[in-house]
Amino acid sequence: MRKHSKEKKRGGGIPTDSFSDIAFLLIIYFLVATTLVKVSAVTADLPSGEKSAQTESDKTPIVNLRGAEIFLNDKKMTMDGLEERLAALELASKDPGDRVIMLESAKGTPYGNYFQALAAISANGGVVAIVEEGD
Amino acid sequence: MRRSRRKRRKPVPVPVASMGDIAFLLIIFFLVCSEVSKDKSNLAVKLPFSQYVEKIKAQVVARVAVDESGEIWFDGARVDSATDVEWGIRALLTKTVSDDQRHVQFKCDSALPKEQFEPVLKAIAAAGGIIEAVGEKEQ
Repeated sequence: MRKHSKEKKRGGGIPTDSFSDIAFLLIIYFLVATTLVKVSAVTADLPSGEKSAQTESDKTPIVNLRGAEIFLNDKKMTMDGLEERLAALELASKDPGDRVIMLESAKGTPYGNYFQALAAISANGGVVAIVEEGD
Repeated sequence: MRRSRRKRRKPVPVPVASMGDIAFLLIIFFLVCSEVSKDKSNLAVKLPFSQYVEKIKAQVVARVAVDESGEIWFDGARVDSATDVEWGIRALLTKTVSDDQRHVQFKCDSALPKEQFEPVLKAIAAAGGIIEAVGEKEQ
């Protein structure tokens, strides 16, 4: 008579041999998927909005943006010309009160032009004071 | 004659039993240290260009964005007006001590008109924030 071979009883344990492989794959996924985003920007410390005597001075330079045109103290110029004039003012070496540059823009001025003027003023050590409508 | 026994070098097994623990600890480390970006980088924004842009070194306390349709986003959440931005930044800056803790990132579409972005800039300035206006390097 043939002996019936007993079926081997399977153990009830969870196979954990591949857990470390899964874990390392997850780590590699996170390392590959993460993005180290470094944003480029221009720093501009605008005054908090309180009017001061310096902003009303006749000597305070005013940058006026009218669409695509740029005016510095009512003189039309290009962006490069504005940058040269701002560099010539040597604002970084002056007292904080003397570094104010007023920035006025016409209705509908696009942010791209505004940003370039803001960047030029801030990069040359100026403090931007936004001129409100009605001033 | 005595046979010289060759020393059998037993293979030394590398203990790999704890590799799973190490791997999971590393995962937990990355999960705890990583920060969910509040940048809302999928906003439809065309950034302006300037030769003066530099990588931001300061840590920003808040991120304000104005997309091409004029909608204002404050730390990834849509807000109704610039006033909400001002109060949000005021709330964040109440306990700040130094200027390093006042930087606010501002991102705006380059085609947006003055009427839509200038109130936001004024709101950030009124709240005491130092604006980090995001742009791209001009080639």
